[in-house]
Amino acid sequence: MLRLSDVNVKFGKTPVLRDVSMTLPAGQTLAVVGESGAGKSTLIATILGLTKLDKGLITWANVPIKACRPSLVMQEPRAAFNPVLSLRRSILEPLSAKREVISETRLGQLCDRLELPLEMLDRKPREVSIGQAQRAGILRALIAGSPLILFDEPLSALDAVTQKHTAQLIADLQTELGFAALIVTHDLGYAAAFSDDIAVLREGRIEELTPTPAFVQNPQSDYGQELRAAAFALGALEYVA
Amino acid sequence: MTLSVSGLSAVRSGRTILFPTSLEIEPGARIGLVGASGSGKSTLGHALIDTLRAQGSCVAHVPQSPDEALDPLRRMAFHWREAETALGLPHDADRQQALFRALKIETGDLRKRPWGWSRGMQQRFVIAMALIGAPNLLVMDEPTSALDPIVAARTMVLLEDYLAARDTALVLITHDLGLAAGRVTRLLVMNAGRIIEDRPTSELLAAPRTTQAASLCAHRNWLALPC
Repeated sequence: MLRLSDVNVKFGKTPVLRDVSMTLPAGQTLAVVGESGAGKSTLIATILGLTKLDKGLITWANVPIKACRPSLVMQEPRAAFNPVLSLRRSILEPLSAKREVISETRLGQLCDRLELPLEMLDRKPREVSIGQAQRAGILRALIAGSPLILFDEPLSALDAVTQKHTAQLIADLQTELGFAALIVTHDLGYAAAFSDDIAVLREGRIEELTPTPAFVQNPQSDYGQELRAAAFALGALEYVA
Repeated sequence: MTLSVSGLSAVRSGRTILFPTSLEIEPGARIGLVGASGSGKSTLGHALIDTLRAQGSCVAHVPQSPDEALDPLRRMAFHWREAETALGLPHDADRQQALFRALKIETGDLRKRPWGWSRGMQQRFVIAMALIGAPNLLVMDEPTSALDPIVAARTMVLLEDYLAARDTALVLITHDLGLAAGRVTRLLVMNAGRIIEDRPTSELLAAPRTTQAASLCAHRNWLALPC
């Protein structure tokens, strides 16, 4: 289980995360929603160990998070890869860093699950579609075998149909492989359809952390209510008869 | 006056990206131009703007991101004056205030540069600039995708309220049928550079005729996906 206890982060004297406490059990999905500047990306950087904690503790299975080596799927699929390397080389980098290898059979199986032809891995990022690049990004995160994968706006660069298809692929792989997913998104529709819990982050604080079905019905916070109303107004959520 | 174009097409690097397309847009029409990435939506939008402007119609464009419309080194007042000048209009403080009130940006400081305004206010400023010339048609290309949901929803409501009192037609370009469905009365579905369906919104949503439209309809609602 991922556990954040009283996490505080400051940039200079400005607090960016304030007293953030939350848990994410193994195999489950937590969606973190909120507006730009709320601290969502800082939260991810902090869990990855890229930002220094001012105060607090982050653990996985009761040991410091560093030992868990969480993986990351980034927002801009093509920018997430080195443009001069083949996708294969970038994808296998997490393993080569640990002096590990993966069999072609296993790589092929994962490619099949992600609907990526194996030979596509020999292309450079600019030679594949954005949707394919994002699935390659997911493949890179899976290859490392981490029990925790962080997704930073994983669908925002994709069109509506590809978004939903990719979301379903992630969910299917999660069921199969059992990783925990922390998804940062501004799309409440995605959060509503594919998460177990929704955390609302505002100005660095958790406004509420609610089981997803309850959030969709009736968020506890005023800000959660505003987000829900906006999602309905924009067609991201619709009342299902 | 109905706006009409015919035979619009576009070729890039020897490849046809928009096949000959004709379109009529009634005054006050609310049209959604939907399709997957690369289907030709934005190309048609740009071709429509260029052709109608060449015909003498006043057509305004709101890009996906305010960054595309605002020079970070110029003050907001400069952008406003530049838009007025481009339309051959003298500065009119009353018109400016009316548009700022309609889009709720009257508190914005025009002496500041774009980065001194929030993203939501920047995008509403760009929309207000687009409305300076009281256009016959407003073409909006993914106008909310760069905004946070609450700001995006408020911006769309303010714009709809403003347009409701006028005959300005709206073409909303988006890959998201969920966004378009509640806002437009006619949907054009594009695929591979062609309009493959052009029907009233309610009819298309109830019974799409093409695979691509059916896919968009099926993936419209996050909570009722076909998987």
